[in-house]
Amino acid sequence: MALPAAVSNTGGSDMHRRKPGLLAWLILLPLVAWLLLFVVAPTIMLIVVSFAERDALGRIVYEFNLQNYARAFDWVWLKVMLLSIWYALLTTILCMALGYPVAYFIGRAPERWRTTLLLLVMVPFWTSFLIRTYAWITILSNDGLLNALLVGSGILTEPLALLYTPFAIVLGLVYNFLPFMILPIYTSVEKLDNALIEAAYDLGAGPVRAFSQVIIPLTRPGIAAGAMLVFIPSIAMFAITTLMGGGSNPTIGEVIFKQFTSGRNQPFGAALGTILLVIFLLALWLTNRQREERN
Amino acid sequence: MKTKTTQTILSAAAAAALVFTATAHAVEKLNIYCWSEYIPQDVIDDFAKETGIKVSVENYASNEEMLAKLGAGGGSFDIIQPSEYVVEALVNEKLLRPLDKKAIPNLKNIDSKFLNMSFDPGNKYSVPFMAGTVGIVVNTDLVKEDIKSFSDVFKPANKGKIVALDDAREIISWALLSKGIPVNDVSDKNLEKAKGVLSDWIPLIKVYDSDSPKTALLNGDVAIGVVWGGEGAILLNENKKFRWVIPAEGTHLFIDSLAIPKTAKNFANAEKFMNYILQPEVSKKISEAFPYLNPNMEAVKLLTEEQRNNSASFPTAKEISKMETFKDIGERGSVIEEIVTSLKVE
Repeated sequence: MALPAAVSNTGGSDMHRRKPGLLAWLILLPLVAWLLLFVVAPTIMLIVVSFAERDALGRIVYEFNLQNYARAFDWVWLKVMLLSIWYALLTTILCMALGYPVAYFIGRAPERWRTTLLLLVMVPFWTSFLIRTYAWITILSNDGLLNALLVGSGILTEPLALLYTPFAIVLGLVYNFLPFMILPIYTSVEKLDNALIEAAYDLGAGPVRAFSQVIIPLTRPGIAAGAMLVFIPSIAMFAITTLMGGGSNPTIGEVIFKQFTSGRNQPFGAALGTILLVIFLLALWLTNRQREERN
Repeated sequence: MKTKTTQTILSAAAAAALVFTATAHAVEKLNIYCWSEYIPQDVIDDFAKETGIKVSVENYASNEEMLAKLGAGGGSFDIIQPSEYVVEALVNEKLLRPLDKKAIPNLKNIDSKFLNMSFDPGNKYSVPFMAGTVGIVVNTDLVKEDIKSFSDVFKPANKGKIVALDDAREIISWALLSKGIPVNDVSDKNLEKAKGVLSDWIPLIKVYDSDSPKTALLNGDVAIGVVWGGEGAILLNENKKFRWVIPAEGTHLFIDSLAIPKTAKNFANAEKFMNYILQPEVSKKISEAFPYLNPNMEAVKLLTEEQRNNSASFPTAKEISKMETFKDIGERGSVIEEIVTSLKVE
């Protein structure tokens, strides 16, 4: 996934912009080709298909109509969409609450430790997320490790139903996306000027005030970038939600996946996907506008 | 899901590797698109070793998924594994290639009960792979009531204890059967009745899984499952606490076949593969890994007494007489999908 604009945009003054030369374009060519092939072309295909129909076998029939969109705004699908946004929001908030202290700690740690600590954050990524998700299934299932521990030690008498619940879905999402929150916040914390924090204390601010009025605003770009990086993929994620949610609390990602597969209705899936895309763009636009206003 | 997703990743890697090897010299190839948990890997490996054909496999978890991909022109598959009603649809749409029976002499091993069926008279386009039923598995440690039917499964007392196949056509058929309606009578009126039944049933289901519904049962996350016969048979072998029940209302008898899409490039290799797995010894291996109702009577003879007596693999003739096969229902399929999805969400 391409990083949203918010990540790279900490300074970004428009004054020094120059027209790139031929060489610059040549260097950029692979990236441009990549974007055209794998971002622009699929998006156009998605939008075109979302206005098409399908036949009994699920083949796309290119006849313009709006019925997919009319259907997409049915309460059933809106509910799925809202539920997914809710899960994603919860995931983002939890990632922030868990990730900020970690990022802060790493960013303020002695320099020689930072690389090691960052590495520790990324180590789980060396394993496929599917394998890590299956590990959670082993841990959370009724006869799983966690329940065996809780029941075996006498803390509980009955195993807790953890797997295939909304709890498991959010846990899976938080676990998988936490590093996406930690890393951008870390980059902001690392750049934090100690003098400003000291100045806050010198001017009589307590720790709470220094944190909320100096540290937080200074690391806001990192928080915003992390929030986008967690929120957007959480909405559309379907593998984790299917595996850990059991399919009984379907998210929008799962519903779209099903339309493309067992539902035999790609145009409708494409319409839902396009709506999701518009929501993402709106979210990005809102964060960008907020940032510009502050600047 | 596990197998499917990892297989997809693996086959993507394999495809990438192919790009490099294919340029070197032309290799004989075979692209299989089949159900997950249905053709054992060692059978595929043995075939590849014996014939020198390079085999790649992709999996799907439902007929509809396969149709969607086939219809979208995605992938170029030489062999697919549709169920009876999908063979019918594909024959009607002229999407299958007629088989060269001379290349498949082992077809003689198939029990005539499974040949010349209404979905493909004369087996012009398809060769039976496995048959089977959908039935109920009960963990008798956790469920003490005597469960005999779909209506016994879907009772409020069993809320949060049920795993069901993630297959809208199957789920609708259980509701239809509970109302005494034949599974292929999917008129609006009947679907309305089924919807009424399912609005009570669906909130009781905890997990939907078509790939490996046995997992949730084995882990103790659920106590009752409505699952494929082969999955049930594995559970019966695994632990005596599991009991297999053919629903009193009747159930679906599926017949999964092998067929060649019209667009297949390596159709001769596909026929070779069909003939290969119709050998009794090979078919027996498949039965051992995935114990479904094997239509290959020569292979069944090679099975042990115990394997033949597994009630989830081999229903009795009397039980079979109460089962129905699915017929193609065309666009009604997506109506059904919508009913089930919307009920899941509510």
